[in-house]
Amino acid sequence: MNRTTRQWLALLPVLSVMLLLILGISLYAVAQSLGYAPIYGIDAFPTLHYYDLLWQQTGFWQSMGLTLYYAVIATVLALILGFFLALALVKQGRNHAWIHTLYKFPLMVPYLVAIAMVILIFGQGGLLARLSFALGWIDSPAGFADVLYSHYGWGIIIVYLWKQVPFMALSIYVVLMGMGNDTDEAALLLGARRWQRWLYVVLPQVIPGITSATLICFAFNLGAFEAPFILGGGFPDTLPVMAWRLFTDSDYNNRLTGMAAMVVIGLVLLLLIAIAGRLSRRVFQWQGAGHGR
Amino acid sequence: MFTLVRLTSILALSAVTTGLFAAQDKLAFRDAFLQDQLAWSEVTETARQEGAVDFYYWGGDDRLNVWLERTIAPKMAEMGVTLVPHRITATRDAVDLVLAEARSGKALGEGSVDVIWVNGENFYTLAQHDLLYGSFAPLLPNASAFEWDANDPRGLLNLFDFGFPTEGREMPWSGEQYVCAVNRDLMPVDATPHTFADLERWLTEHPGTFTYVKPPHYLGNTFVQEALYALSPLGASGFQQPLASFTPESLARLMAPGMDYLRRLSPLLANARNDLARYPENDSALMTLFQNSQTAMECQFGLYHVATKGALGQMPPRTEEIIFPVNNMIKNKNYLVLTSNAPHPAAALTFINYMSSVEAQASKLSEVGYPLGVDLWTLSAQDQQVLMAAMPAHFGVTQTELDANIAPDIHASLVTVLETVWLKYVEQHSDRPFEDLVRDAMAP
Repeated sequence: MNRTTRQWLALLPVLSVMLLLILGISLYAVAQSLGYAPIYGIDAFPTLHYYDLLWQQTGFWQSMGLTLYYAVIATVLALILGFFLALALVKQGRNHAWIHTLYKFPLMVPYLVAIAMVILIFGQGGLLARLSFALGWIDSPAGFADVLYSHYGWGIIIVYLWKQVPFMALSIYVVLMGMGNDTDEAALLLGARRWQRWLYVVLPQVIPGITSATLICFAFNLGAFEAPFILGGGFPDTLPVMAWRLFTDSDYNNRLTGMAAMVVIGLVLLLLIAIAGRLSRRVFQWQGAGHGR
Repeated sequence: MFTLVRLTSILALSAVTTGLFAAQDKLAFRDAFLQDQLAWSEVTETARQEGAVDFYYWGGDDRLNVWLERTIAPKMAEMGVTLVPHRITATRDAVDLVLAEARSGKALGEGSVDVIWVNGENFYTLAQHDLLYGSFAPLLPNASAFEWDANDPRGLLNLFDFGFPTEGREMPWSGEQYVCAVNRDLMPVDATPHTFADLERWLTEHPGTFTYVKPPHYLGNTFVQEALYALSPLGASGFQQPLASFTPESLARLMAPGMDYLRRLSPLLANARNDLARYPENDSALMTLFQNSQTAMECQFGLYHVATKGALGQMPPRTEEIIFPVNNMIKNKNYLVLTSNAPHPAAALTFINYMSSVEAQASKLSEVGYPLGVDLWTLSAQDQQVLMAAMPAHFGVTQTELDANIAPDIHASLVTVLETVWLKYVEQHSDRPFEDLVRDAMAP
């Protein structure tokens, strides 16, 4: 048994689970969306009929827009805030070890708990509403500005940020720490200005780490169901909520349309990952070229 | 190695054959029971051998969960049957499970669902896909506590479930009535709405103080049904026929006034923005709004829900029931159904029979607050007294007033059309002509 075979064998348990769960289920979803569902007495494979029905859903494009809007805003904000948090942590060093534990706390808390927390604090019956009422700023707790349940999605974005800023910060912090100061100091000795060290030395080294962390958050936000379902503004829903509604509809035909919606989310995600991968590589090359000059 | 393989194959083979025999036994048992050839003692004896019953039910009510675990499970254990409660968030999930297992070839004795708590659409789906055990209900000993006479209008709730004939394939378990309650701190007695016009007037003056659960949730569907009844020229009687008896034009004509009203109402509902309402998804979201005094009125199934929720401190202190809408408060029953591939049919029969006993009905009434499934007038004076004593209180209305304003559910085959038309026309404010929406919803 040579080394490669051994390596493959060692990977086999993980690989088989991944293939079965991810690839198997994805294929099943694609097949159902194309009309293969004998359980419901439907066997029209292959047909694009259910995708057709999906486009025809009232508000499909609004749903698509909302899904992208929540995902993009939350991811970009989390990236910016996470980046600054990571810088602050690096600057702190090990001075206050408890901060390093504290900021990771949201990572351990499930999303549903974060959602409940947002409702308890920002809802119209929440802490802030009751506090404003007690202080006489508003006439009744219901008069509190309705932050949640709107298409602006502040509730959803707050939940995503609370969970994902620490995640981004952790990923970027690890990259920054692993980088060490050697290259930065070398650039300093060679007479690089502050912005040049940033642009040509630090950034190219952290970008791969940032890209993967960003894509993980973005992929999650695009496909997430609970937060938009509970905190969203009702019709039009995001695509995952729309898919759930179609899938739980009493009409079995709608389930296949729901599957089509899931496949569309997957395709959008793959497309965006491909674009992001290409962009980050290009930035990387551009940085590399600049560095070489 | 070889002997081991042979041994396992022999074991597997014998397991298959015993399985086969068991399935045949269960078929023979079913046929004998449904032809009324079995003594009840034979059923309870077989139940003891089966040893367990898998009961699937909506698990969102803690009082019900506690009652099943603490009161019913010990009783079933006395009969040699372990009650295995499966709490689900939607009855549909259990129906799907039965359907999937039946499609994968699991016959009687081989499935995983014995009994489901159902009514309406879900029973209709089970019947449409031939997933029912058979007409067992009138053969149970406790069937005597129900009115089965088709000539007595009071028996209709046992014989028809959303207008669809039960044919004894499900046993009535609870009664329910859709009741609206108001918070008297926000809505004085003289402003109480009794008609949909009253409600619209109130909401025009106090926008955002009412909302209803979003269809296709059954609590939302029921509110929509009541609006359709109250505003249609034919009333409830117009909606008792199966879908096949309508043309898109006739059904559209019948539904238009109610749907128009609900569409007009949507900007006035709680959390509405840009003319579109943000409906609560379920009863707990509905109750959060009401408990927080954001809404002044809420409607749900629960003849005694003000009393039972009030006892737990889950109601604003000055909450009263109201008669709304006059003559069109939907009253129905919900049932226990036995599936066609039940793993423990005899134990299930024993369980269903016990659930319709006076003893179980009385403790359900007092401990859970669910109305009676049995029909009071069929019982002895002593049993009647036991049940009357267990009934929770009413606030602001009397039982007689509640009884005087009832209406039946719409025909089960119309429910999907109602849901689809509501989603398109009322929630999404679709621009398409109403009749086209109805026609699309009616297409198979």
